[in-house]
Amino acid sequence: MADLKDPIAFELFKNAIFSIADEMALTVFRTTYSGVLKDNMDYSTGFADADGKLVAQGLTLPGHLGSVPTAMESIMRHYRDDMAPGDVFIMNDPFDGGMHLPDIFVFKPLYHEGRRMAFACTVCHHTDVGGRVAGSNASDSTEIYAEGLRIAPLKLYEAGKINKTIMTFIEKNVRLPVKVFGDLRAQLAACHIAEQQFADLVKRHGPDETAAFMRETVDYAERLTRSALAKLPDGEWSFEDWIDDDGVDYGKPIRLFVTIRKKGDHMVVDWTGTNPQVKGAINNTLSFTKAASYCGIRSVLPPGIPNNEGVFRAIEVICPPGTVGNGVLPAACAARGLTGFRMVDCMFGALAMMLPDKVKAAGDGGNTGISIGGYDSERKPFIYVDFTCGAWGARPWADGLDGNSHMMANMASHSIEVTEAEEPIQLLAYEFVADKAGAGKYRGGVPFRRDYRFLEEEGTLQVRSDRRDHRPFGLYGGSPGAPSENYLNPQAENKILPGKFTMTVKKGDIFRHVLAGAGGWGDPLERDPAAVLKDVRNELLSPAKALADYGVFIDTAKWTVDAAATTKRREEMRRARNWSEVPKVQRQEPAGLTATVRAAE
Amino acid sequence: MSTPSSYRVGVDIGGTFTDIVLLGADGTIHTKKISSSVGDYARAIVDGLSELFQETDLAGRAIEEIRHGTTVASNAILEHKGARVGLITTKGFRDVLEIRTLRMPRLYDLAWEKPAPLVERYLRQVVDERVDARGRIEKALTLEDAERAVDALLAEKVEAIAVCLLNSFANPRHELMIKEVVERKAPGLKFSVSYEVLPEIKEYERTSTTVINAYVMPIVASYLKALRGGLDDAGIPAQLLLMQSNGGLTSDQAAAERPMNIIESGPAGGVVGAQALARAKALPKIITFDMGGTTAKASMVEEGEVSRASEYSVGAGIMIGSRLLTGAGYMLKVPAIDLAEVGAGGGSHVWIDGGGSLQIGPESAGALPGPVCYDKGGDMPTVTDANVLLGYINPKHLVGGALALNAGKAKDAFETKVAKPLGLPLEKAAYGAHQIAASNMIRAIKAVSTERGRDPREFALFAFGGNGPLFACGMARALGMSRVVVPPSAGLFSSFGLLYADVEHHYSRTFRRLLRQADLAEIERAWTALADQATAQLGAEGFAGDRMRLKRSAALHYQGQSYELTVPVPEGRIDDRMVGLLEEAFGQEHEKTYGHRAGKDEPVELVSIQIIGQGLREGGVPERLKPSRAEPTPPPPRRAYFGESGWTDTPVLRRSDLATAKSGPLIVEEYDATCVVPPGATAQLDSGGNIVIELN
Repeated sequence: MADLKDPIAFELFKNAIFSIADEMALTVFRTTYSGVLKDNMDYSTGFADADGKLVAQGLTLPGHLGSVPTAMESIMRHYRDDMAPGDVFIMNDPFDGGMHLPDIFVFKPLYHEGRRMAFACTVCHHTDVGGRVAGSNASDSTEIYAEGLRIAPLKLYEAGKINKTIMTFIEKNVRLPVKVFGDLRAQLAACHIAEQQFADLVKRHGPDETAAFMRETVDYAERLTRSALAKLPDGEWSFEDWIDDDGVDYGKPIRLFVTIRKKGDHMVVDWTGTNPQVKGAINNTLSFTKAASYCGIRSVLPPGIPNNEGVFRAIEVICPPGTVGNGVLPAACAARGLTGFRMVDCMFGALAMMLPDKVKAAGDGGNTGISIGGYDSERKPFIYVDFTCGAWGARPWADGLDGNSHMMANMASHSIEVTEAEEPIQLLAYEFVADKAGAGKYRGGVPFRRDYRFLEEEGTLQVRSDRRDHRPFGLYGGSPGAPSENYLNPQAENKILPGKFTMTVKKGDIFRHVLAGAGGWGDPLERDPAAVLKDVRNELLSPAKALADYGVFIDTAKWTVDAAATTKRREEMRRARNWSEVPKVQRQEPAGLTATVRAAE
Repeated sequence: MSTPSSYRVGVDIGGTFTDIVLLGADGTIHTKKISSSVGDYARAIVDGLSELFQETDLAGRAIEEIRHGTTVASNAILEHKGARVGLITTKGFRDVLEIRTLRMPRLYDLAWEKPAPLVERYLRQVVDERVDARGRIEKALTLEDAERAVDALLAEKVEAIAVCLLNSFANPRHELMIKEVVERKAPGLKFSVSYEVLPEIKEYERTSTTVINAYVMPIVASYLKALRGGLDDAGIPAQLLLMQSNGGLTSDQAAAERPMNIIESGPAGGVVGAQALARAKALPKIITFDMGGTTAKASMVEEGEVSRASEYSVGAGIMIGSRLLTGAGYMLKVPAIDLAEVGAGGGSHVWIDGGGSLQIGPESAGALPGPVCYDKGGDMPTVTDANVLLGYINPKHLVGGALALNAGKAKDAFETKVAKPLGLPLEKAAYGAHQIAASNMIRAIKAVSTERGRDPREFALFAFGGNGPLFACGMARALGMSRVVVPPSAGLFSSFGLLYADVEHHYSRTFRRLLRQADLAEIERAWTALADQATAQLGAEGFAGDRMRLKRSAALHYQGQSYELTVPVPEGRIDDRMVGLLEEAFGQEHEKTYGHRAGKDEPVELVSIQIIGQGLREGGVPERLKPSRAEPTPPPPRRAYFGESGWTDTPVLRRSDLATAKSGPLIVEEYDATCVVPPGATAQLDSGGNIVIELN
């Protein structure tokens, strides 16, 4: 800090630049046309310096931390010496700085008297960018060419003049150009706001001080990150987990493997050992793998560290090309969200080995993606896209949250009534499902189910879900959560559907999705019987399962716990399972407990 | 109607103090600040009024009406002390209330806990029924099922019942059926039915609002009953009016029925007062800035109108940048004055983070132990300590002399915990803390101005609250604003502002139609129905037709957008010409707010229709006020620190000393607030006793 001339002026600058990034985010939020942007906060805004290094990112979606730098590198590679005031760049190519095709980046270089000072950056998930399945996020495409319109880094505006060719190409290749253009306008509006406010900032500080303060903002984040990392133990920890399959090669599990190496104030997150890239569209770009890695680590670092390049300097992320964490051409990647979310959970597993008292067990998997699209009788297209997740793994100090977004995203559920008013869809249920949460001293989050009834004559239903074969793990004695479920017409044929599929649906068809239960933390036999009673009273846990998993006898007439019987029962269960040590990770129902469930039934 | 012997009373209850303002028809003002009687808030009001009567020789009959802002309802929610509520909802949707929106207000926070649902799951009953999005009944509710659900809740001894069924905004028949069952089986039990309290689309918002209304109903009703009883016993027959979150008053009976409308009652008074003074002074654009001990709040008044939000979260806490991160607190979809709030107040901690950066808050020293200078055991430097060290606040005692200060302790704490680690001289560190606190609060001002496409430089900053006038000039300068206005009784302005309010009721209904395809007669009828509700309510409160004013507005968006903008609807029939006017007004507002508008062909969708019914009272607040409290002799000049100007001898004045213009630096010390006028600024009283500061 001593090297900084005026710490107060710097603090004021930092406040101002992050408030511009937030204001850009609010501008997108308010002007957007699409529910994906608004409800899922599936967009990000930020500022980069004259060299394209991230200085400030608005707080919206953890999954995007790491996206802007990679995209900026690409812009700089192509246009470093070929940009001028009034230019605006557009791109979405995952193999040239993008993430997946629906995420369209818009960048605007900002100038002061001819000198390039910064970039205003936005990235938004668009409702549809063409390709074989409405919504452009099918998990069963096998190459990028099926996934939609691929936009290389291009100038959307050149010296203030819009490039109509690009706009026309977009218009003719997406299903809902009105929405795409509406959201592009939102991105441009955010850049416009940023430009105005940044000009005020340069006026106040002068161009040199502004540049120096942007550098210092990055250094400051690096110092904060390093000082926090230095307080963590040194060493090396690994963890592995599996995705059920890629939706193309059914039943072929995909391995995620991470090693965290921490020394002093530096950390390496190494994904070497992770599965080679797969046919299905769940291959990450490296930028998304980075975001997942940062997300895991940031959850054990103190709050308040600015989102920028400084964080990246202290945390190195490695993932070999050609793996599911760093796909290369022609990898399909539209549905890569799944892999990113699960990498965060894998990070939690490794961090739990490093810091047993700090980290949660696995959540429901997250997030399930459901798209229903088609054409109505007047050949007007409709696309309904729903991403959902909600059960947090249990924590070393508390139960997992019930009905809360995964940490990698911060999405909201769409209003059911608005969905029904706008789409040919009816929701028949959105409620918790009992007996699926992983048992533990602290139980995993309770999952919910959603039942969708389709009202148009015919449409395409595409689902990306997981955690069917590989259940959300429990930690330090906690049980894993129960698997996810998919059904067609549960009131009638009740056909079991796979985790990932694309199928035709007809009028009146009902699709049911049940999330996986989240993993528990700690020995279930140490759970406070009052907490078990509360769950039974609230019908989140059946009396039979209270007895089987927790050894708790509940009198459902008086809503009391039979303490003596419970103590006795728990003793018997302890003897029966005969733990020599508490199992650190449990991925299957513990044998002893399964046996007692049968006994109880 | 008003005679010199008739008085109006404004009462604002805060966590620590109850502020009472008495205003005579001739402009006489009496004020009283007494400790709040926690647990029985009504007592402090009655006691305070009785004391004021003794001091002033007035009788209870001299009081014409009592206007009241209260935190009783919001405290019940924050402290989870509301009623035991049972909820009846549609089968399959038992957990809408608890699942909320899935969103959390803090990223990367493993320790986040969702606020506990106000109705636990076992008290949420479902009924087997279904209404579709257009209001058609797909599955009829049977009487048996309705009775079973109600019986189950009565068996659990609930104190209130909330009813919210899916799509009921489009057809309330099933909800009304359940209401009849409740009335029949449990006469007198409090209940809240979603179609009656909020006939609007979005099941979570409607459920949450209906539940909150039921949750605070018993506690608000009994509070108002106790207050009424206490006033009657004390011989004060005056009518009791409650301030609502929307800035309008309502009768105590209406407040007891719809307590959801008075939840953010507290901060509204000041904004309404500012609005009235802005109208009187023909200030077309002001931003209000209200800073107390723990939070600072900003709002915008444009062309004499406050800006309102259609929903907010009760107890969401205060987080910088929080407008992006929702999910905290309890969702309440009722119109409220749109306040942006940041966790910066006099008690906010000043500290240095792991990266070596000076930070303010959000932790606060609160009333206990309070700032270091209070000498009540606090050892964390605070914003107030910085202000004492800078000479802004009287170093010996808080004005009025009630609280002695220990400036030496503040100095030691600041030296060791802030100045030394930063390598800065004491005054630079304190001035830095003052500036950073100001810059945090500037975020609140930007939230209500630039974030809506408004340029703060076109606005005057209207500052009140105990600390508002102390920070206002510095903040105004940083934002390029050229004028600051500090009203009389600035520290009591939340209760003073109540005196300016009108009776006001808001009604709205979801009515989704594409404007160019809509049946205009149907829209006209829907608006007429809302207007009838408004006039009936105002009539019941004693307003004759010529004292009623109805204002229509419409929430619109481009088809496909998921966020609306509200525009006023002029008088006249809803015909094609009106549709054209609305589309144009919407397009203009869109451009003003977001910098662009879509083409003329882009379809505009009506989302909801709204009516505000106002009851205009006779006899406003006189422009010229006559405070009964004598101004104390001001202390001698003292040194105060002003950044580039450094330490400067600064006169300390009374408000009345500003009858002629004076140049800064100067400090105005009053009973309830301190106003700092920096070098280069000029301050003068206007005809209404406001301090008007011009910055250059």
